[in-house]
This record gives sequence, structure tokens and C-alpha cells, in this order.
Amino acid sequence: MSDTNKIPTINFKESAMELLPEGASFEACLTCGLCSSGCPASGIENMDPRKFIRMAMLGMDEELSTTPWVWCCTQCKRCQHVCPMNIDISQLIFLARGNWPLENKPSGIVRSCQLIRSTDSTSAMGLPPDDFIFVVDDVLEEVRETQPQFKAMEAPMDKKGAHFFVNQNSREPMNEPDEMVPLWKILDMVGADWTYGSKGWAAENFCMFSGDEEAWFEVIKTRVDSVNELGCNVWLNTECGHSYYTMWNAIDKFDLDVNFKLESLITYYAQWIREGKLPVNSDWNVNKIKFTVQDPCMIVRKAYGESIAEDMRYVVEKLVGEENFIDMQPNRSANYCCGGGGGFLQAGMTDHRRTYGKRKFDQIAATGAAYVLTPCHNCHSQMEDIGHFYGGNYGVVHFWTLICLSLGILGENERTYLGPDLLALLD
Amino acid sequence: MTEDARHFKTELAIIGSGIAGFAASIFALNRQLDCAQIGNTGAVAYTTGYLDLLGKTEDNEGAFKNTHDNPWDGLKQLRTTHANHPLSQIPQADIEEGFKQFTAFLGECGIAYTSPGVNNITALTPVGTLKKTLCLPATMAAGPKAFAAKKKCVIIDFKGLKGFSGRQVVANLIDQWPALSTQRVSFPEMLSGEIYPEVMARALEVPATRVKLAELLKTAAGEAKIIGLPAVLGMHSPDTVRTELERLAGLEIFEIPTMPPSVPGIRLREMFEQVFPQKGVTLIPQQKVTSLTFNDQGAQLSLADNYGPITIDTQAVILATGRFLSGGLEAHIEGIEEPLLGLPVTQPADRTSWYHEKYTGPTGHAIHKTGIEVDSSFRPLASDGTPFDERLFAAGIILAHQDWIRGRSGAGIAIATAYKAVEAVEKFLRA
Repeated sequence: MSDTNKIPTINFKESAMELLPEGASFEACLTCGLCSSGCPASGIENMDPRKFIRMAMLGMDEELSTTPWVWCCTQCKRCQHVCPMNIDISQLIFLARGNWPLENKPSGIVRSCQLIRSTDSTSAMGLPPDDFIFVVDDVLEEVRETQPQFKAMEAPMDKKGAHFFVNQNSREPMNEPDEMVPLWKILDMVGADWTYGSKGWAAENFCMFSGDEEAWFEVIKTRVDSVNELGCNVWLNTECGHSYYTMWNAIDKFDLDVNFKLESLITYYAQWIREGKLPVNSDWNVNKIKFTVQDPCMIVRKAYGESIAEDMRYVVEKLVGEENFIDMQPNRSANYCCGGGGGFLQAGMTDHRRTYGKRKFDQIAATGAAYVLTPCHNCHSQMEDIGHFYGGNYGVVHFWTLICLSLGILGENERTYLGPDLLALLD
Repeated sequence: MTEDARHFKTELAIIGSGIAGFAASIFALNRQLDCAQIGNTGAVAYTTGYLDLLGKTEDNEGAFKNTHDNPWDGLKQLRTTHANHPLSQIPQADIEEGFKQFTAFLGECGIAYTSPGVNNITALTPVGTLKKTLCLPATMAAGPKAFAAKKKCVIIDFKGLKGFSGRQVVANLIDQWPALSTQRVSFPEMLSGEIYPEVMARALEVPATRVKLAELLKTAAGEAKIIGLPAVLGMHSPDTVRTELERLAGLEIFEIPTMPPSVPGIRLREMFEQVFPQKGVTLIPQQKVTSLTFNDQGAQLSLADNYGPITIDTQAVILATGRFLSGGLEAHIEGIEEPLLGLPVTQPADRTSWYHEKYTGPTGHAIHKTGIEVDSSFRPLASDGTPFDERLFAAGIILAHQDWIRGRSGAGIAIATAYKAVEAVEKFLRA
């Protein structure tokens, strides 16, 4: 990101007029500053959302075209959420990112996008379909052998006509394959008719974060084709935030032909618990360990809104006990981005990312909770990192881990994210 | 892609998410009405937190120069001089009850307020001038008392915080409050760059930050036993934050409102957004209603959020869409319009008479009295002078014949008219 001379200059004001829906205008900005006041990226690189808009209106295009701040804004849309005039700044950030020459963009994001496009898996870690199939088979075989209760469990691959097409963040098959097992157990327990697709199974999509529209489209097209080819009814997004948003937003943006529904696993966790298919309870939490929940921007504020936030809380309260759940403030659609989104974790701007994450750290610290539950891998990694960095003493756990813990079916290799307090309950 | 449109059914739909809209939801809850509240983020985040009823009325020349220590006396006067002012339509007992229910609700939900009393409180503004208000947040209550008693007091401001200057506050008050002085401190762990009240308030929700700040405040207070801070004492639990900070610092502490974006408004908004859904209100606070239609069976609202289209079927509607800022009224070259239903708007005869030539003069501007007309049940009137629809009611500053800014009566109009509108809705629904 050193040679900024090569970055072409965008006419932001003109572009804004083209991007915005009819009736919307950046000129409606009252300069009240609610956006900047509520933005964790304010002050980084001497920039904030209000300043960005004002500079755009003043024609300071060169400064805006070259500011590295566009890689620190996670496009979480909280600025728009709190804006009385409903001004969407994130679209300008997307535009600015896309305008940076490839060699100037943060290499981590670029590389992730390249890897996604390197195989049919659409995996940001470049795991090819055959390797994914191998890992799934290998882990499944071991579980069948070592956990007799699950000796008949399946992890179907390319099963035509399955109800659910299930995606998976590459981090699991690549780095921690045992973390796939709790998900399989849950799907097995509720009797779900599901499949992975060897093509397009991966969740992540850094091409959107690189501002590369063509690449973004290509990735989504591969995934949509895979679900359509298998004839699945539902593309089920598992515990990953931006995978949902990139797919959902792109289908509309690129007008893709889609014969299935997009759903979040959180919705189904809640449904299966309500239906009694997942008989979780909080009896295990005898020491009244406190939990909070992180609402990922990508599935709450930017997509489903309050309904999924409610489902998340329903699930958490069933799992840990209502009295042991402490909500973060603010929360739901008003929640802060953790600072791991928008490719920030991959951008190599560690100091800035941690400055951004201080707000999240304060939120978590204020709850006093011992654990944060979140259905998003970027949130998960970022909250762990800022916890260590700022001296917090909380853990971060996936929903699937706690569900299996509550059900008494969490295998020994599936306990990576449990602290001593939770591990003690299992011994 | 297969996408399901969402559909809600309710007894009462409240359009607007300012003070009037939120007040209407509170009164509807208290009357056990099933309700939904919809509307783009209102100006509620801009409030100082003060709940004004009536601070000033007009003299014979139309200048807002009559200041009222007793707002109820002011209202009596208003009824004789401005019979069409919305507050002139409402009995004192109803206004009192509205304020009582509104502040009680806020208190139950974690933002304690002083009780509405007989007299106005002389309160401090962000720049150290004085204004009359009826109720204020408990976190601010000690300020006016310290001012009244002229106690030795230090106003604290923070390095990097724009829009609040201790020097300015002291300069404006020193003649009346000689024992006032100011000190600047650096907020813990925010040593460089611009900092915002919202960020400080959230940081003070963390116990460790309070401990660090308390030490700085002790030093800054010197011999004073009472200090004033910009409104940053917590976001979600301000009363706890203030009590804890007072305990740690061994000082009495009060808040002074700041310029927008200010904490007291964000506190209210975030509280409403959390509490209403828990209490059964269908709250869609970020979206504008795009159409509202009436038929024999009820009314239907249409809107869309990030996720897709939403429709709401309802038996009654309260229009609390505000004036220009929130889009309840729109000013066009040819005149002022109510955009959702095209209701007739009472307004100056022509555009040239919208504004008085003295922009900041005490007379104010004719455009600030524009609005819609209602009957005694707070039903908006059509151009023939009859109710637009028996299911439609209105509340708040969209109503004509009031200049809430110069009258220091914004919350009063919002709360009292919402109270009456909900009362009328209940009467209609239960008839």
C-alpha cells in the first residue's frame, strides 16, 4: 500500500448520485456527527464517516481516493443505521476499494480473493474439492469409530435433492477439522436432510471486500450453480457472517436466477429447539457462568434485522439460562462491528484493527461475561485477539459447541474453545 | 430467489420515532393496546434529555419574551391568547398525567427522571446559558440545585472533546455564579485526537474506566465538593455510573447536556429500541412508511427494510412524523406539503413570508408554526374541515399553531398530544 500515486481519482460526488436510490442524497447530510460518534473507525488515519462525506461534497476526491481508511472501515453500515437521513456511506467505501490498483490493495485480502477463485471450492484458503472430501471422510470415520453414539452419522457430499445445502468456513477443514463435528451431530440429531457440495461449499468471500465486483459475482455464481445443480431447497449458511451477506446481497445486485431460499443456521437452531428436536437446557450451568452474545453485522443489521437477533437470544437463553445471559450494550442492529469484518483481519493493519476493536472490548468488559457466543468466524477471531491484546479474560465460543455441550454430546476433540471452567463441568 | 414478504397485524400503528411516537407507544402499552411503531430514526438522538413543557410565550408583539417559572400559569395564559395552540386544547390534568406516565416509564427502564412539579427548573445549557424545563434526567438534577445555591463548583471538560467548553460555560455563568471554575482533564486511554461523548459514555460502563477517571476528577475538583461534567456518565446505566463515580471520587457529580450528537438522546433511543420489543411492541425504527391507505376494515401501511417488503394491517393510526427534519412535512417551491397522505397544511400565504428578516430574533418565523389541523379527538382534518379518516389520529410537532423551539415546549407538545391521541384511539377502538 506504499505507492499511492498510482491510485486513480474518483469523482465521489458524481458517483454518489449514480449509486444512490432516487430521492437519497449526500447533500441531505445535516453534519450532526451521529455517524462518526457511533463509528469505531473514527479517528483512525485521521478520518471518520462525517469527514468522508463532507470531503466528498467539497470535491476532495484525491484525498478520498487514496486514504487507507477505506480499508479500516468495515462497511458495517452502523453509520447509516444511526443517520436520521439514512445516508449510506459504505457504498462509497466499496467504490473506493475497487478503485485501488490490485498491487496497492492490502495483499491479504487480494490473496484471499485469488485463492477463492483458484478452485471450485470457492475457499479463501484454497482448499480444493478433493481435499475437502478427504478431510470430511477422514474426520467422519474417526468420529464413527471413537464415538459409538454416532457410528451411523453421515456427512453427505453432493447428495442430489437434499433439502439443505450446507456451507462451511474453510477454517474448519483446513485448521481445525474437529470443529465440523458438532455441526454434523446437530444435523444428525434433528434428522436434517442435508448435503455439502464439493463445488461451492466454502463460506467466505473476500472478493466483495476487495471491491472487485466481477470476482464477487463469479464466486457467487459458482455457489448458486452448485446449489441449483444439486436441486436443494435451502442454502443453509452456518456460523459465518459475511458469507450470508455476500450471497444474499449479490443475488439481488447481480439479478441471479436462484431456485432456493437462503437461510441462516441460527433460525433453525431456534426452530429445532422450539420443536423439541434439539432438547437443550441450561441444567449443566450449575456454576452460573455468564455469557453474552455478539450480533454479527452481516446477518443482523445488514440483513435479517431484529428477527434473527431475537432467535439468537432465544437460543442463548435456552442454552445457558436466562439469568446467565447478559446482553452487550448496544446490541442487535445497533451493535458495534467487532473490527474483524470487511477483510480487516486479513488486511495486515493490526494496530488499526485493534484500535477499532477497543470499542468491542469495552462492550464485552462491561458485561462481565466469561464467554461471548457468536455465529461468525471473523467476529470470533477478532474478539479473541482483542481479548488477549487488551488483557480481557473472556472466551469466545461457537453456538454449535455449546449446543453439543448442553446435549452432552461434545466429543473430546471438540472442546478447543472451552476454558477451564467449562472443561471442569465435562470431567 | 424465494423471499417471503412479512406481514404484521395490530390494533394501533404509530408512525414516527421521535418523542411523540415513543410517548404514544408508552401510553398505548399502559392502556393495553396492541401496537406497532414504525418510522425512520427520528431526531430523538438530538435531545438534551430535558423534558420542556412550556418555557416561553409570546408578548403582544409576537416575541417569545414571557418567561415562565410556573408553566401551568403559562398554559392558562396561552389558552386565552393562543386558543388554537395544541397545548391549549388539553386539560392540565391530562398533561400532568402524560408527563407522569412518561417519566415513570423511563425510570422503570433505567433512566431515572425528576418528577414533573409545579415549577419549571432553571437548567444549564451546553454553552452555560440558562433555560426553563419541567423535568430532567436524575444525572443532571444536581446542577440546577448547585446553581441555585451558588455552591463552589468545577466544570470539567475533556481534551479532544469538541462542542463542550468549560471555559465557555464558566464565562457565561460567572456573573451569577462566582464560585464556578473549570478544569480540563484527559479521558483515560483516549489521549489523542477527537473524542466523542458517546465513546466516553460507553467506556464509563466499564468499572475499570470509572476507577481511572475518578482519580483524575478528584485532583481536578480541588477543594470543590461538587463538579459538573458534560453528559458522558454511561449509556445503558447512567444512574449506576454516576453513583459509582461519585462514590469513587468522593464528590457530588452532575451532567450538563452537550451539543449533538449527545449522549442523553442516544440513551433514550437505545433504551426504547430495546425495551419496546420486550414489552410486545412491534418496533421498526429505521424505515420510513412509503404508503398508508384506509378502507372499511382498517388501514394498511407499506414499507421495506434491508430484508424486504413489510405490510402492517391496523385498526387505527397515529401520525407522529414531525416536521421538516424527520420528513413529516416537506417544503417545496410552491408550498409546504404533508407527503404521506397529502393532508392540508396550514402555512403562510406565500413563500416570502416563511421567514422573519431577523433570523435569530425572538419573534421566530411563520414557517415554524406550519402543520396540520386536528379536531378535538386529534383527528387530522381534510380540506373540507371534517376528519380525513375516523381511524387516523395525529400527535407531536406536525400539529399547526406552535413554535416549540422558541416556546421551549417540544417535549410538552409531544407528550401531551400523544397522550390525548392514544386516549382518543382507545375510545374509538373500544366503542
